[in-house]
Amino acid sequence: MSAVSVDGGAGDNGGGPAVARRMVLVGVLLLVAVVADLVAGRAVSPAGVWQVLLGGGDDTARHIVLQLRLPRMLVALVAGACLGLAGLVLQSALRNPLAGPEVTGVTPGAVLGAVAATGLGLAGWESPAAVVVAACVGGFAGAGLLWVLAGRDRGDPEQTAVHGVLVSAVLTGLTAMVLLVAPGELGSVVQWLVGSIEGRVWDHWNLIWPWALCWTAAACALAGPLTLLRCGDEQAAAVGLATGRARAVALVCAVALTAGAVSVVGALGFVGLLVPHVALALFGADLRIGLPGAALLGATVVCGADAVAQGASRVLTVVLDMDRLTLPTGAVTTFAGAALLLIVVRRVPLSRP
Amino acid sequence: MTHSAVPRAGESQQLDQAEATVPPPPPPSAATATASATATASATATGDAITVEGVRFGYPGRSVLDGVDLRVAHGELLALVGLNGCGKSTLLRLAAGLLRPSAGRVLLGGDDLGRLSRRAAARRVALLHQSAPAVPGMTVRQLVRQGRYATRGPLGMLREGDDETSRRALVDAGVADWAARGVDTLSGGERQRVRLAMALAQDTPVLLLDEPTTYLDLRHQLEVLQTVVRLREERALTVVMVLHDLAHAARFAERIVALRGGRVAADGPPGEVVTPALLADVLGVAGRVGRDPEGGWPVCYPDHPLPLAK
Repeated sequence: MSAVSVDGGAGDNGGGPAVARRMVLVGVLLLVAVVADLVAGRAVSPAGVWQVLLGGGDDTARHIVLQLRLPRMLVALVAGACLGLAGLVLQSALRNPLAGPEVTGVTPGAVLGAVAATGLGLAGWESPAAVVVAACVGGFAGAGLLWVLAGRDRGDPEQTAVHGVLVSAVLTGLTAMVLLVAPGELGSVVQWLVGSIEGRVWDHWNLIWPWALCWTAAACALAGPLTLLRCGDEQAAAVGLATGRARAVALVCAVALTAGAVSVVGALGFVGLLVPHVALALFGADLRIGLPGAALLGATVVCGADAVAQGASRVLTVVLDMDRLTLPTGAVTTFAGAALLLIVVRRVPLSRP
Repeated sequence: MTHSAVPRAGESQQLDQAEATVPPPPPPSAATATASATATASATATGDAITVEGVRFGYPGRSVLDGVDLRVAHGELLALVGLNGCGKSTLLRLAAGLLRPSAGRVLLGGDDLGRLSRRAAARRVALLHQSAPAVPGMTVRQLVRQGRYATRGPLGMLREGDDETSRRALVDAGVADWAARGVDTLSGGERQRVRLAMALAQDTPVLLLDEPTTYLDLRHQLEVLQTVVRLREERALTVVMVLHDLAHAARFAERIVALRGGRVAADGPPGEVVTPALLADVLGVAGRVGRDPEGGWPVCYPDHPLPLAK
């Protein structure tokens, strides 16, 4: 009978070869972003970077490349992967295309946690572990606040989005109050508000990668349940998924991923909200491919944005004739993200139950 | 309960013969006989497929089911009829274990559904919902394969493979040709058949269908119902379906259960149940009932709606 047509085509995963080609394309883009991030900074030329990587170069160049640029690039990759994954997990678990760590209270909560801990003198750039803990506590508190406020409207994407904006505004306001009360730390704290990868060193990398690896594995193991949650609770439950438990586990995973990223690089705007849309468009609704895809894309985007931020800083320094100017990476992701959001909002219809 | 749950042997034979004359294609009477023989044998061996005992269910301020008792034998094909909001869909959800009764209990093959995990329940009973949200970007094959979740588990879903069961489900529901298409590119009727395939992919002995013919044109309504009848005979499935079209219920089901105000108002073979009194009391319609000249099943001629008695 038509069994032939069922067998036909390698498209077992929806796209088959097309999806594989896109994955390779994203991989190539990732490599480009990595190289660009390594050579974009000032003081050492691309040739100098290449020499150092081959084992040569003078001491200054070696220090800059091996102690500053390499960890910075790696932190950008991991933070981006975490944010991309967290966004896709959130959007799937809440079945809400407008959900992202930025608009569900997770990121603002994590920022508030990090800023408050720093303001109280409990943590700082010198004690990054305390920042991760504080950011996690804040992230869970932010998500919990939304959970309570949204109440019975949790299943409604628009209502959840509205409550998310409310929660985010309140948390941002609280952060501002903390900054007013404890202005001493203002300089370093501002980096969390915008999101910056400037000055991240091996300490940060050592802290973030085990955490990220652990939760990335957890997120990918949830691919099956998350794909089902996207089909709606009724269908998911009918085929055997305990939807409440699966959603709770997925949310914990998303908050942990976001908090980890925020504690190290701050609130990089739009990455967690928009990367999932691109990942779904490229890799389809099968999250066994979509989740790793979102991680790759997130890493590419943040690493690329960091390269752009460094390049733009150099250009602006010359143009504005300033002594030293550092454009935060978060500014780049926010500008690019705002443009992309316009496209997404016009293309993606809000799915209604 | 006023009627015997299991149709008496004479009646079901009569019905089988009536079904055997349904054109096209007439089910082979040998297969029908075997199927009903198997059904009778397993029913006596292990009890009923579904047992609903004194079930009540309601939402705050509104009672939906008000003490329902129902026994569905193995291999039975039962149609639930009734007005909108009379509790048909709620009863199906309770029988699938998606809702918990506030009083009474639901047994599947003798086991209390309240004690089965969601996955264990989904290995025994599949439910086709009335409607479902569209999943952007998901292909028909991907969606149908989701039906295998209960047998594969969260990590099993990571494994590759278009297993034989979901492949067969695609063919059985007649959607194999669209396997690579996106579900959101399909029409409402096409989606309905895809979700039937998803329920079939669960490969459960009990199949619950909530208005399986909604959105379908007459031709596809008959196609889906005949598929259900055929699969039930081939695999000795127990099928309970909510149908709004009394003509379909009278023709395809061997037993009709009518609900009114959250209670069972009538229960029995179509030939006995479908009467002008049922039309008036349960469905709120004045009309006449005749017989199909070829097949002998009851045919309704509804006339006008009656004021609803509260």
